[in-house]
Amino acid sequence: MSAKKSQRGAATLLMAPFFALFLGTLVVPIGYAAYLSLFTERSSGLGFGGTETLFTGLGNYLHALADPAFRDGFGVIAGYVLGYIPVMVGGALLLALLLDSTLARAKRFFQLTLYLPHAVPGIIAAIIWLYLYTPGLSPVVAAMREGGLTWNFLSSDHALSSVINISLWEWVGYNVVIFYAALQAVPREVVEAASVDGAGELRTALSIKLPMIRAAVVMTVLFTVIGALQLFTEPMILNGANPAVNTTWTPNMYAYDAAFRRGDYGVAAAASILLAFVAALLSFVVTRIGNRKGAA
Amino acid sequence: MRHKIRTRLGAIGALAALGLVAACGGGGASGGAAQSGPTEITFWSWTKGSAEVVDAFNALHTDVKVKFEQIPSGAAGGYTKMTNAIKAGNAPDVMNIEYPVLPDYVSQGSLADLSAKVGDLKAKFPDQIRALTELGGKTWAVPLDASPMVLYYRKDFFDANGIAAPKTWDEYKAAAAKVKQADPKARIGTFFPDDPGHFASLAWQAGGKWFGTSGDSWHVSIDDPKSKQVADYWQGLISEDLVRVQSAFSQEWNAGVKAGETVSYVGASWGAGSALRANQPDQAGKWAVAPIPHWGTPASGMYGGSTFAVAKDSKKVDAAVKFIGWMTTDAQAITTRLGIAKSTMYPAAADMVPVAAKSFDNSFFGGQDAYSVYKDAAATIKNGWTWGPSMFATNSTLKDNFGTVTSGGALTDALRKAQQSTVDELKKRGLNVS
Repeated sequence: MSAKKSQRGAATLLMAPFFALFLGTLVVPIGYAAYLSLFTERSSGLGFGGTETLFTGLGNYLHALADPAFRDGFGVIAGYVLGYIPVMVGGALLLALLLDSTLARAKRFFQLTLYLPHAVPGIIAAIIWLYLYTPGLSPVVAAMREGGLTWNFLSSDHALSSVINISLWEWVGYNVVIFYAALQAVPREVVEAASVDGAGELRTALSIKLPMIRAAVVMTVLFTVIGALQLFTEPMILNGANPAVNTTWTPNMYAYDAAFRRGDYGVAAAASILLAFVAALLSFVVTRIGNRKGAA
Repeated sequence: MRHKIRTRLGAIGALAALGLVAACGGGGASGGAAQSGPTEITFWSWTKGSAEVVDAFNALHTDVKVKFEQIPSGAAGGYTKMTNAIKAGNAPDVMNIEYPVLPDYVSQGSLADLSAKVGDLKAKFPDQIRALTELGGKTWAVPLDASPMVLYYRKDFFDANGIAAPKTWDEYKAAAAKVKQADPKARIGTFFPDDPGHFASLAWQAGGKWFGTSGDSWHVSIDDPKSKQVADYWQGLISEDLVRVQSAFSQEWNAGVKAGETVSYVGASWGAGSALRANQPDQAGKWAVAPIPHWGTPASGMYGGSTFAVAKDSKKVDAAVKFIGWMTTDAQAITTRLGIAKSTMYPAAADMVPVAAKSFDNSFFGGQDAYSVYKDAAATIKNGWTWGPSMFATNSTLKDNFGTVTSGGALTDALRKAQQSTVDELKKRGLNVS
């Protein structure tokens, strides 16, 4: 009895930090954002008499939804997801399967090398890439020009591909590690049975290994979609360098612009809540699809 | 291996927790004044020489102590930091706010009304500049510099190729063609799509007036004929590939100047110290300064320029005003800023101009009396320019649309869109627009 009691005490003690942080850094801010999103600041005349705070109900939500700049942001995200996810998942799967194949050498070395870009903070990565994209500064652009290839990473037509490229660099290695770990959990006897039955490396990879790590792939896609909705750092750094990446290019940038440039915290909060809602909805849909396929 | 990782993770976690605790302890800039001893005030700025000026102030004063924090320049994130701090209730007592966005901060209710505190101080500034700090009949800030626009150019390059410093914008265009002819890699200057403030000062110089008030309502005319004229002019330079299109003060811009491929710069008085001399020390003696090219009669506009304001929540307004007054109108503050910190700002206070001229270091300009050029430029700043109450929003729209100029966008379209979005923004805030 007392052992049980002390166990419960220990559990409470060990879990308390989690719940304190969860409450303080997630629940309270979301609640505060929801509260902020219901109010607006109004001035009158020339506006130099200060502002008064008015309750506006869903006014800020309607304003954000009616604003083409906010809606366009979701279009950008859709384009980003369509371009990014296939290449990222495909690339990471390919690399993970190569690492896992019996032919691979120096596995540890490649695992580490592939993962290394992810250890660079996103903002630093974006700044490095901005250098590599800038004509006149970049050795990459210069080398490409030498080779007869003129590609302007910072032109407005290439905004999306330039952002996707940065994301790929940051995330492919990370997902390789996840997929590789999942592949380690594939029972070796199944793989051996396949090879006894005459399946080659390729056949084993496609028919045995891939289906068995489906859960990991679905999880990665889910996280990537949610991550994509929060796209912010990379375009924020490219904003100003690439004319197509404007100040409200993604929904997160729209919220940032509303709060910190326009001083409209109400609309910023409403946009953030809408964004969170879309993310929740999407995760629900993606997990549903993933589970159904898994069950079939 | 696994054990090691876990220990390391634990250590990282502990460090993170410590950081969190430290961060919690660091807030509240204006709290807890000691009853005895000096009043401590906090000050955020990015203007060149602020740290040195604060040190000089602290060495001389026992009743007020200033704690200085260097922040990134306004456009580079400084304003975001300030806006956040104001919203969170831990703003510094004294803040660096440039003229264009002062009305934004006032209309957001972020600043303390200084009208009753600056009686004697006000008279030290010319009416025209003082007017930029008086909104709705109250004084909200004290000006530091007047920031007239001038033309900086590489005298060695211009002389070697027989090009004279252009006096008018027509001559500037002709000179631009000659520069390109002399060296196909060189360009005379730069259009800064990310810096609408630069364009605004060119529109100001041309006689544009983006904002005005009558009674208690705003007039907005960002696409007025004079501003369109300036837009068309730069559009022409860009389409004929006579100027570069680069972000202001970017690595790219610096690299071009360093390589001697960007051979002039239309900028304000402060630009020599902050942008040119600081980054290109090896080009000392090669630069000269001339009046900014004009549209028929010599004229200038103001680009940037700092004022100092006090946060609304500050409980130490008197100490803050004392410090601001010293910083902007005391000879020692000016000599410290220019002589020691090598700023090239042009003081707003009339009495301080000769002081500044004396401590200004002309070596970057090969001994040319740059300050007298500033002085003449300051005298030709056009009267009657007003900044609107939503310059952050206006600038966002301008920046987004100026950015499309390299892919077929028109600068006049940007002006039209900024006009529309600015009127919408003002109406959304409940302001009167006529």
